[in-house]
Amino acid sequence: MTEPLLSVRDLKKHYPIKKGLLNRQVGAARAVDGVSFDIAPGETLGLVGESGCGKSTVATSAIRLEEPTAGEVLFNGGDRRGATRNDDGTHPNDVTRFDKGELKAFRRDAQMIFQDPSSSFDPRMTVGATIAELLSIHGMTDRGRRRRIVEDLIERVDLSASDYDRYPHEFSGGQKQRLALARALVLDPDLIIADEPVSALDVSVKAEVLSLIDDLQAEFGLSLLFISHDMSVIREICDRVAVMYLGEIVELGPTEEVFHGPEHPYTEALLSSIPTPDPRATLDEIELTGTVPSPTDPPSGCRFHTRCHRVIQPEDMEMDQAEWRRLLTLRKRIESREVDVEQATENLALDDEPDDLSDEAIKSQLRSEFELEAPLDSATAEATLETALDRLVSGDADGAEEVLSSSFTTPCETTHPEFVDHDADHKSACLLHVDDRPDSRIGVENVPQ
Amino acid sequence: MATENQDRFDRVDWDEIAASRGRDLSVNTLGMLAFAVPLALLGLYDWRLVDEREATFGAIGYDIDITSLEYLFVFTLLLFAFYLVLPLYQNPRRTKHYWTEFKRNRPAVVSLVWLAIVFVGGLIGPLLMNAPQQDILISHQPPVYLSVDQANVANCVGEIANGRCHGTWEYPLGTTNGGRDVLTGIVYGMTTTMQIAFIATTIVAVVGISVGTVSAYAGGWVDEVLMRITDVVLSFPTFLMFLLILYIYGAGIGMFILVFSGFAWGGTARYVRSKALSISEEEYIKACRISGANTYGVVRRHVVPNTASSIITQLTLLIPGFLLFEAQLAFLGIGDTEVPTWGQLISAGRSDLAFAPWIVLAPGIVLFLTILAFNFLGDALLDALNPEAQAETDQ
Repeated sequence: MTEPLLSVRDLKKHYPIKKGLLNRQVGAARAVDGVSFDIAPGETLGLVGESGCGKSTVATSAIRLEEPTAGEVLFNGGDRRGATRNDDGTHPNDVTRFDKGELKAFRRDAQMIFQDPSSSFDPRMTVGATIAELLSIHGMTDRGRRRRIVEDLIERVDLSASDYDRYPHEFSGGQKQRLALARALVLDPDLIIADEPVSALDVSVKAEVLSLIDDLQAEFGLSLLFISHDMSVIREICDRVAVMYLGEIVELGPTEEVFHGPEHPYTEALLSSIPTPDPRATLDEIELTGTVPSPTDPPSGCRFHTRCHRVIQPEDMEMDQAEWRRLLTLRKRIESREVDVEQATENLALDDEPDDLSDEAIKSQLRSEFELEAPLDSATAEATLETALDRLVSGDADGAEEVLSSSFTTPCETTHPEFVDHDADHKSACLLHVDDRPDSRIGVENVPQ
Repeated sequence: MATENQDRFDRVDWDEIAASRGRDLSVNTLGMLAFAVPLALLGLYDWRLVDEREATFGAIGYDIDITSLEYLFVFTLLLFAFYLVLPLYQNPRRTKHYWTEFKRNRPAVVSLVWLAIVFVGGLIGPLLMNAPQQDILISHQPPVYLSVDQANVANCVGEIANGRCHGTWEYPLGTTNGGRDVLTGIVYGMTTTMQIAFIATTIVAVVGISVGTVSAYAGGWVDEVLMRITDVVLSFPTFLMFLLILYIYGAGIGMFILVFSGFAWGGTARYVRSKALSISEEEYIKACRISGANTYGVVRRHVVPNTASSIITQLTLLIPGFLLFEAQLAFLGIGDTEVPTWGQLISAGRSDLAFAPWIVLAPGIVLFLTILAFNFLGDALLDALNPEAQAETDQ
């Protein structure tokens, strides 16, 4: 196997949360929590996920715009090829250990494009001067040469050389993104990290910029780390795709394979959100319930289990998967004391006959709120739910929690899934794929109906 | 074709370029150095080699002495010329844009003309006119076209008609009780006014911008310490401090400028800090940092220019304060009596206000107009230099 250009190993970025007079650290937002991936020379890796899942932090930590908390970022571009590890286990190409001089050389080999075209250029400098500034930072003292190089480059991104002397506000968003691309290219890098480069653009401009990126990548053999929340953009431009959820990569594989046979429920949900132009296509959009958990206190086990539509049932239960999901959601809400019995009572009083405010009525109100209409498929589950609701309505939330959490359990919340290889280059981290569940492939009907 | 290939971004031999140690000085820096270095040498010569009572150019036969205040003044003028006026000339399109924006504000244009008159008058006036001399024989001459009761004038230069002494063109704005020409006094006052304006502005800008950006970029305890110092500066009773210095050492106009601008940078520092913090989150700063620029480069090329519009406005509005304060001190009789200022003139005329109001009115009106002009100018600059407003109008 050829040496990857960029090799990220177990990258972590935790933002400390400090409180009080002495700025004591009381916790950390684990924005990126152990991410590993490789980018081969000339390859485009897509990094996809919801807002706030840590995609951009991966980019800024990998390129050392921010100092990563832990992990290794091996960059083998420039003339760093073929380096081997030192005796003490460190790697000479580890970006996180680069000193000032090495870092400056690294800046020539890895560049970044940002999301917001409106703030990506200094409003007080001509765009040409902004791009040429990079050349002068790296020691090119010849003014005329700087200008010629930048003019040539501006033409390469399909603008005219006379745009050199114009100011950022004179360009449209798409033009500014082209210029941002020119700025990223001017030092002739091997790797470009594009952080949502087209998400602020409208559809036609988006397509133009994407094809420009594609062309330039082919012409200059660039590697690209392409960050986006938009699956359709990823599909268009990426060779491989990594799906991130809450600071972790959950699935990594060649784009076509991931799009045709997603192995992780989260990828499946993301893919189902792509609108299809076919009016006859059956709408089976997977709606993720619940909110994105906070990275300061990520869920135990599999981080996706609080929202997963394929969350695993205990051995002794047999019920509809959707119902199981709703039961777990109810359990979570009761655990975090978010179920408001009084509110339910009030709603009831507003709705129908106000004299019927019996416990039974409140219970059925709560059940309908969580779409858990009686009776449930499983008799044992029904009995447990009844007991829990009784306790809840009588004001004993702790009791209700105890009942629910003792019987409605899932291995997803206790076991952190390891990566499972599916094909040569395709892996995912989901307990459904762990070996002791023989028929565990998503898409094969493994879930009880 | 070889040269053409040289000028493509992917044909650059970066290892060679990065290894070379060339310095790339801008025209502005070169020009600044070309003038500032001789000035500094002259200053050094004046300080170490020339006797204190001897004129600077005494050795080559010219009886011209340069005071330390004048060295500072020339230096600040050079700064303004090379880092404010020359860039405006270098970016004609942007200058034109600023000018169209600025032109909309008519009072500001008039103010600019007035300030230009004061500036030019202050610069070349003293070269053309002799310093106002005490001459008791011609005291209390009225301004031209005006007259005053003959009893109040000891020796009328103009014609006397109906018992009233009429003014002449020889003393267009009349004379003081000491017989000094008021017009000459006003022109010489312009020099002092401009010295105060330029030197104080430079000191406040340099200290304020330095403290603000260091505070924003260093963070942690450095930020904490600098901002607490700024709090002290903002709440410091500068006037009492000045009185104390005056009492202990005696204080001239130079000390006045130093003390008051030394305690006026608090607001600027606060502003620059907050602006630098918000700008450092902008993507173009990130892009610049990712390109390998060091913090100083980022601050110098991006942060300061982007705070400049508001700093310039703030400084323009700071100058009137200094001028007023100087006038007040002079009026109270604790100003620098060796330097001709408008405040000195006003204070010289206050005892004769009853019959010779021109001594107070002429410099008073000039002072008033100047302060008004700076205020108008500040407002107009705020509108013209504001990049957000600029982007909006262009859309």
